[in-house]
Amino acid sequence: MVPGQENQATGRVVDLNGHAVDPFQRTSGKVVVLVFVRTDCPIANRYAPTIQEISRKYRKSAEFYLVYPVRTETSERVKQHLKEYGYRLAALRDPNYELVRRAQTQVTPEAAVFSPGGKLLYHGRINDWYTEFARAKREPTTQELVDALNAATIGKPVANAAVPAVGCFLPDRP
Amino acid sequence: MTAREGAITALAIVSLVTACLAGVENGNTSTRESANDGVTFNRDIAPIVFRYCSPCHRPGEAAPFPLLSYEDTAKFARQIAYMTEKRIMPPWLPAPGELTFQGEMRLTEEQIALIKRWAQAGAPRGNPADLPAAPVFARGWQLGKPDLILRARKPYLLSAAGTDKYWNFIFPTQLGGTRWVKAVEIRPGERRVVHHANVLVDRLHSSRKQEKQPGAGFPGMELRIESETFDPDSHLFFWKPGSAPHEEPEGMALRLDPGDDFVLNTHLQPSGKPEQIEPSIGLYFTGTPAAKFPMLLELQNDKALNIPAGTSDFVVTDDFTLPVDVDLIGIYPHAHYLGKELRATATAPDGTARTLILIPRWDLNWQAVFYYTEPVFLARGTTVSMRYVYDNSEANVANPFHPPQRVMGGNQATNEMAHLWLQVLPRGTAQEQAASLRSLQEAMARHDIRRDANDFAAQYNLGAILQDRGEIGEALGHYRAAVAIRPNDAVANNALGGALLASGNFAEAVGLLRTALKTQPDYFPAHYNLGNALASMGDFAAAVKEFRAAVMLNPGDSMAEANLGGALVETGQFGAAELHLEKAVKLDPQNPVALDNLAELRRRRASARNP
Repeated sequence: MVPGQENQATGRVVDLNGHAVDPFQRTSGKVVVLVFVRTDCPIANRYAPTIQEISRKYRKSAEFYLVYPVRTETSERVKQHLKEYGYRLAALRDPNYELVRRAQTQVTPEAAVFSPGGKLLYHGRINDWYTEFARAKREPTTQELVDALNAATIGKPVANAAVPAVGCFLPDRP
Repeated sequence: MTAREGAITALAIVSLVTACLAGVENGNTSTRESANDGVTFNRDIAPIVFRYCSPCHRPGEAAPFPLLSYEDTAKFARQIAYMTEKRIMPPWLPAPGELTFQGEMRLTEEQIALIKRWAQAGAPRGNPADLPAAPVFARGWQLGKPDLILRARKPYLLSAAGTDKYWNFIFPTQLGGTRWVKAVEIRPGERRVVHHANVLVDRLHSSRKQEKQPGAGFPGMELRIESETFDPDSHLFFWKPGSAPHEEPEGMALRLDPGDDFVLNTHLQPSGKPEQIEPSIGLYFTGTPAAKFPMLLELQNDKALNIPAGTSDFVVTDDFTLPVDVDLIGIYPHAHYLGKELRATATAPDGTARTLILIPRWDLNWQAVFYYTEPVFLARGTTVSMRYVYDNSEANVANPFHPPQRVMGGNQATNEMAHLWLQVLPRGTAQEQAASLRSLQEAMARHDIRRDANDFAAQYNLGAILQDRGEIGEALGHYRAAVAIRPNDAVANNALGGALLASGNFAEAVGLLRTALKTQPDYFPAHYNLGNALASMGDFAAAVKEFRAAVMLNPGDSMAEANLGGALVETGQFGAAELHLEKAVKLDPQNPVALDNLAELRRRRASARNP
């Protein structure tokens, strides 16, 4: 929101050093997973241990990226956020929503699973922990992201291609 | 309805909104035209945001992002419209009704519609001249510097992941003398993870037994503080996000004695990163002792909670008829995760009913003590009723079990509760108020016993009330019931032993008092009573032993010294007797027992010299 903080927002996907990155160019045959988060979303933040754990389990077969699409969240802020929440994942900024559009993302946290060739196989919630704002289950009872990964990593079709997520709205996204 | 469905309702205006919001993001906000119907932030939205959102949505408070300015608010316009339309925010459980509460955080339908139109119009800023002054919040302690600050002795480390946690902190007070507390401000530590916190006074250090090491704190969702006397200081101290600390009304204050502990019960929700929870409590004293003593009436029916899996409308009720006129000051409904609809009603003797509170969609996360804007008069003969509905089906998102299981009453997060606390103030002169409190206590105890004859506290309390009123015969029956429920309880055995002693049944008293001391060897009242019982039976040597133990435990007790002196006289130990009787007189120059025993000592000495 504050002008002057957008020097890195060149309209392209960038890493935290401002270098342009195309996550689909270096998959080495792995499935690509984008998990969209923002630093100030309590639901996305509560998911941090879950996101980290799933990425760890699938690191051999899937390339995980945390994507910060909110333009005003600077690289410095993102770096601090990664540290606070113990993330050990590659993080990207997507200030012009290139990845948001490609993954059809609406809210944070939301996940998208792509084939090694860059085809969108699944997008939506990680699981059903939240069914409404401020209404969390004690524990999730479904695992949509894991289910999608289990199918995608062995080249099988994903049963549910999209399941809406509950989370913080992204600015400008309908 | 999911977030997605909610978003779709706004789809028709999407392209317009996108264009406008992009303007906001680029900082070109000042040039934006107001939308067609003229709703602007400065004129229409800012007053709502400043009043209902900013108290919590500001740095250092519980909410995840600030809502203090146009920029803050415009960034979340669409989300705010969604959250307010679904009444998720601001969090406020009671439905609007005839009675109103202090600090209501409930938006009107008009305000909600306004926010929606504003978001749909692209969040226009409006005329700078229309903008009201931004709210000013005190930094740190909201009521100013406290007279005494108590800090947690050991922080609680909340893990990054997992289910909700309930943790209790004990704060010893170490006062030099009795003080009167006008307000308690709870600073719960990392506010973003603390859902609510409440404070209770523990005069007997009963909670300390639950700590593994002193100062370590202890887990538990519900606090039960033991008390062996009626505590007239029935106050509720509560913190929930965004709420101002409650100051006691005129004439009311909490008595705090040296040695009293405060116990802080907190409900914590992991945030995704490890958090260190280090609460503190600020106490604000008044020089004026309390003149009005409220009482907490507790309606509850946990025993009836036996909720089959899959039931979505399980009803639990309890009723209590007031024996005296009272003013109702505050109300605190409480259930766990299966609570659905919570209602309390007052039915006057003439049959007219008033809703005291209705929570149509219970959410444990936003539970609170609600204080009425004006005290609610409830006439003698009014019946207060609670009617709680529970949802143990899969449809209840908060259900701790998946698939649902049978849930019973209890203190754990996976049990359920049905409680309603009412803070009431009797009317009339100080004497009339005191009499009314006793009537209320008796009625409450009898009500509890009717519901459950195995209610230990109720049986014990009723025994104490009746003994206090001189009705020893009936008192003995209730004390006996209490001892039957908890055969080894030191307090109950001592109370029954003491009552038997007073009624002349020394031999039975001795047995009970010895049981009390077996459970709690350092229990002063039991040593004192046992000494008296033994002396009454003529066993002065054994009495001396008990009185010696009593004065060791409580060296400042004039009566214990006087009785020790008396027993020593009877055993012919005149020198030692004189020492203790003089000490008794020094402690209380008017102590009649000490003066009598001194006179007796002089007679015995005289007759020993002139047999």
